[in-house]
Amino acid sequence: MTRFVPSLFIAVLSLALASGAFAEGTLRIGMTAADIPYTGGQTDNGFEGFRFVGYQIYEPLINWDLSRSDKLPTLVPGLAESWEVSKSDPKKWIFKLRKNVKFHDGSAFNADAVLFTFDSIKNKQSPQFDQYGSAQISWRLSALKAMKKLDDSTIELETPTVTSFVPYQIVYMVIVSPAQWNKVKDWRKFAEQPSGTGPFKVTRFVPRERLEFEANKAYWDPKRTPKVDKLVLLPMPEPTTRLAALRSGQVDWIEVPPPDSIAQLKGAGFQIVTNKYPHNWGHILRLDKEPWNNKLVRKAANYAIDRVGICKNLLNDTCVPGTGVAYKGHPWFGNPKETYEHNPAKAKELLRQAGFDGASKRPARAVALISTSGSGQMLPLAMNELVQKNLKDVGIDVDLQPIEWNSLTQRFRIGFTGENAGVNALNISFNFLEPFSGFGRFFHSKSVPPTSVNIMPFVNPESDKLLDEAEKTFDLGKQDAILAKLHELVVDEAPWLFVVHDLNPRAMSTKVKGFVPPQSWFVDLTQVSITK
Amino acid sequence: MWGYVGRRLVLTIPTLLGASIIVFAMVHLAPGDPIAAVLPVDASKAQVEEIKKAYGFDRPLPVQYLKWLGHVVTGDLGKSIATRRAVILDVRDSLANSLVLAVSSSVLAFGAGIALGLLAAFRQGRALDKIASAIAVVGVSVPHYWAGIILIIIFSVQLNWLPAMGAAPDGGIVATLRHMTLPTIALALIPLGVIARVVRSAALDILAQEFVLALRAKGLAHRRVFAHVVKNAAPQIITVLGLQFGFQLGGSVLVEAVFSWPGTGYLLNLAIFQRDIPVLQGVILVLATFFVLLNLLVDVLQTFIDPRIARH
Amino acid sequence: MLLVAAHEISAIPGAPMSYWRTVAWRLARDRATLVAGTLLLLVMLSALLAPWIAPYDPNAGSIRLRLAPIGSASHVLGTDEQGRDMLSRLLWGGRMTLVAGLTPVVVAFLLGTVLGVVAGYAGGLTNTLVMRTMDVFYAFPAVLLAIAISGALGPGLPNTLISLSIVFVPRVVRVAESATVQVKGLEYLAAARASGAGVWQILRHHLLANVLGPVLVFASTQVSLSIILAAGLSFLGLGVTPPAAEWGLMLNTLRQSIYVNPVVPALPGLAIFVTSMALNLVSDGLRDAMEIRA
Repeated sequence: MTRFVPSLFIAVLSLALASGAFAEGTLRIGMTAADIPYTGGQTDNGFEGFRFVGYQIYEPLINWDLSRSDKLPTLVPGLAESWEVSKSDPKKWIFKLRKNVKFHDGSAFNADAVLFTFDSIKNKQSPQFDQYGSAQISWRLSALKAMKKLDDSTIELETPTVTSFVPYQIVYMVIVSPAQWNKVKDWRKFAEQPSGTGPFKVTRFVPRERLEFEANKAYWDPKRTPKVDKLVLLPMPEPTTRLAALRSGQVDWIEVPPPDSIAQLKGAGFQIVTNKYPHNWGHILRLDKEPWNNKLVRKAANYAIDRVGICKNLLNDTCVPGTGVAYKGHPWFGNPKETYEHNPAKAKELLRQAGFDGASKRPARAVALISTSGSGQMLPLAMNELVQKNLKDVGIDVDLQPIEWNSLTQRFRIGFTGENAGVNALNISFNFLEPFSGFGRFFHSKSVPPTSVNIMPFVNPESDKLLDEAEKTFDLGKQDAILAKLHELVVDEAPWLFVVHDLNPRAMSTKVKGFVPPQSWFVDLTQVSITK
Repeated sequence: MWGYVGRRLVLTIPTLLGASIIVFAMVHLAPGDPIAAVLPVDASKAQVEEIKKAYGFDRPLPVQYLKWLGHVVTGDLGKSIATRRAVILDVRDSLANSLVLAVSSSVLAFGAGIALGLLAAFRQGRALDKIASAIAVVGVSVPHYWAGIILIIIFSVQLNWLPAMGAAPDGGIVATLRHMTLPTIALALIPLGVIARVVRSAALDILAQEFVLALRAKGLAHRRVFAHVVKNAAPQIITVLGLQFGFQLGGSVLVEAVFSWPGTGYLLNLAIFQRDIPVLQGVILVLATFFVLLNLLVDVLQTFIDPRIARH
Repeated sequence: MLLVAAHEISAIPGAPMSYWRTVAWRLARDRATLVAGTLLLLVMLSALLAPWIAPYDPNAGSIRLRLAPIGSASHVLGTDEQGRDMLSRLLWGGRMTLVAGLTPVVVAFLLGTVLGVVAGYAGGLTNTLVMRTMDVFYAFPAVLLAIAISGALGPGLPNTLISLSIVFVPRVVRVAESATVQVKGLEYLAAARASGAGVWQILRHHLLANVLGPVLVFASTQVSLSIILAAGLSFLGLGVTPPAAEWGLMLNTLRQSIYVNPVVPALPGLAIFVTSMALNLVSDGLRDAMEIRA
């Protein structure tokens, strides 16, 4: 404890000595995360970690193209210049790696680095096995069974079954520098001085407080070398704090401003940036018990919700109505029969067909587990109270059980058993980029717990068939069409309460130029510049 | 006298031990799985169990307690689950920040509180007494987190004079002072009120003593009376100062939450919601230890000033 | 704010001489305490009568009317972030807050007095055991202990009551024990024992009368702190759960809206402040009237 006083002294002294002036071209971002995501490679905090840390410091073999707002991001070459399924064995994929790429520490990127990273996730016996990082990411990498080096610039990947989803998974595995790791031989130390091939290099890491980067001037793609000199990330989980920080000029850009403040921010001259992306806020329903085991009741509930009211009045247009897993304009939307517009009369009619008269005969009470906050959960209390009211108005009674976000994610994991035995709906939001996280883990019969999170459980042979077919279809256009058909089936079955799609609102000062919001949770910060 | 000090010192050991048991019990009572909190929803059960083992959470509770205690006495508070950093480092950094706030807030509260209290006592019954006492009552009654929000509304949102959050780690001395202003005021309000009231009450007691009345009747200089009052009220004042400093250090959670001040309260809040058990145990234990030692210091100081005071 | 010192009472014609009557007589002359007491009574009455006097259902609201300012048509104190009437929520919230604030102190008063008197009267090993255990809890600043226990038990009104009771019991025990020890040493107690009075009689007549006074006064000073702590726990998300109306929780959920309409979010805090102040003034008056130097 005697160390405190000298530390305090040093802290005050360094505060006094610090110049306080930053170089021109510093972008400061206030994130919603409560803490700095893990910088050791396979990051945590879900997609938030990828967005600001994983994909800035590191890169995978295949990248997302995040340069366009008007269409969904496509997969483009990253650290691999090309990839293809082996003609002789459809369970083997050949990746040709990019040459002349260096890690931040100066060492060369090559096939050894890819194998090293693979082992750190998949091989418990390897000295570099990262228990924490592996737990974060390995569930996304089920198709990656083994990797073999064919030469310094060529890798062969072996999959357990024939699957076209490989590129969608490869995109989650970011490559770390073996040379840097071998200097410290410990992931926590590596996380303090990380080394990847990405457009930003870490310069300073203060746990729980800030992460500072500088532009990687030696980045292999001259078109994506960052336009800002420095980048600073600050965790700010409190919405009012973020707002205050932006308004007082402490940061240039904040994620998710409080929806109520948007009009004011616009008035004060800040830019509000939004875009659609595959995000879902809704309720996952329990399909094997009342009241949601009756499809008519599920459809009625979906027709009862005033989504426009939520988005306009509560969220100040930072969301759009959601009537399915995907949104209109997404290649997997298809043409579902049910449109789920706000139609209480239709809802009551559907309930009548199910045998409920809205007075003495009402469906069993819905008991919904909701959270009080959480990444991507938007304004859970306010929104759920509105949903509760909407459903009550057509004759479905809902009890809300708010618990804290971490508890919710854990209880989501165990499904509708144990602690959740009395619960029959669960409000959890998520976003998706590829077929497994969007559909596979929810709507395939083999995804029931403990394998994955089809907790409802949704067991539909037609759905299984479509998903299996999609996984075997290597032509992306044809794959999209199959998934669209699946989507139409899901919308019709209504295993969820579809409510809204978030629009990923951000507020930034007018000094921030060049940002293009993609239709994705991830962002490309390399094209952003700061004017005076 | 030294016997008394020695006895009190020895007594702190079982107190701290008991406190450590309570800390451990409280933290482990919490429902929910600490490891699962930092892993993605889809992580496999097997992986969760493995990481649990790595942290020793699979052992029975008394074993975990003894292991933890063993580490604590050597200064090792374990590793945070969220950051995998040594807890002692997190605690050290946040404690420094909380101390900055507690010290500045104490300076404000002690100075203003003592001044108000003495003013009220020496002008008893008159307008100044009423005003000072009113200020004191307001200070004691105000919910400090609400006061913080009001301060933000007035000085940050409407007037835009002062920043509303954080501790300005990248700024200079001026920026830090600006960031400290509002939280210092918010945190100082209750102690200010308590101190003012105690000082007033103690001073009045002494002034009411017959021989003081006699001294004043004989025309003793104000300064001598004042000095006499201060000297005799000192033990009580020191007790309350000590308690209030402890309140500001250990009770800063609410103010830190409002201002996002990165102190122990902020860390505690974060750790509760992240279910970061090692951090929770470490922070609470360190704060409790601080408080116990502070109480001890206050008791000892009191005894030095007025040896007549002997607690049983 | 003592108006009449004890040694002056006999000089005033018509002044009562028995102890409790003197207390009442003094209180009746203390204007500040009377005003505060009336205010407190009003607060408690309005909380009690909330179901009948609240203009709206505290949970009913229309999202389109959210954050209406004070003085709006049909919502005299505005609406909250869900469009619910603030006046109704404040009235109903008073019940929650007062319950959360008073109950722990009452529990602590009862439990603490018993424990403290037993420890003080018995002395020796019993005393050491009880007091050292209390010391352990005393090692934690109140706020910290409340938050730590609530963090462990989880949110919800019952858990909040338990957590705050645990915080206050040690304090009451200390006061009760200290008072008991003081009284025990008084001579007339030894005389009573010598005259053959039984333990129970002694306890009842002499001990309780002289111990209850200081304990009561002390407990009354803790109520305002308890209210602030209970509301503070809800503010942190560790107390009462939504959609309940409770002043601390309201302060939390309205905090986001201070940039849109700063006055409405200030109302629940104002309610806590006013109640707390009234409580403090009343307990001050009590202490002066009973001439207790705590």
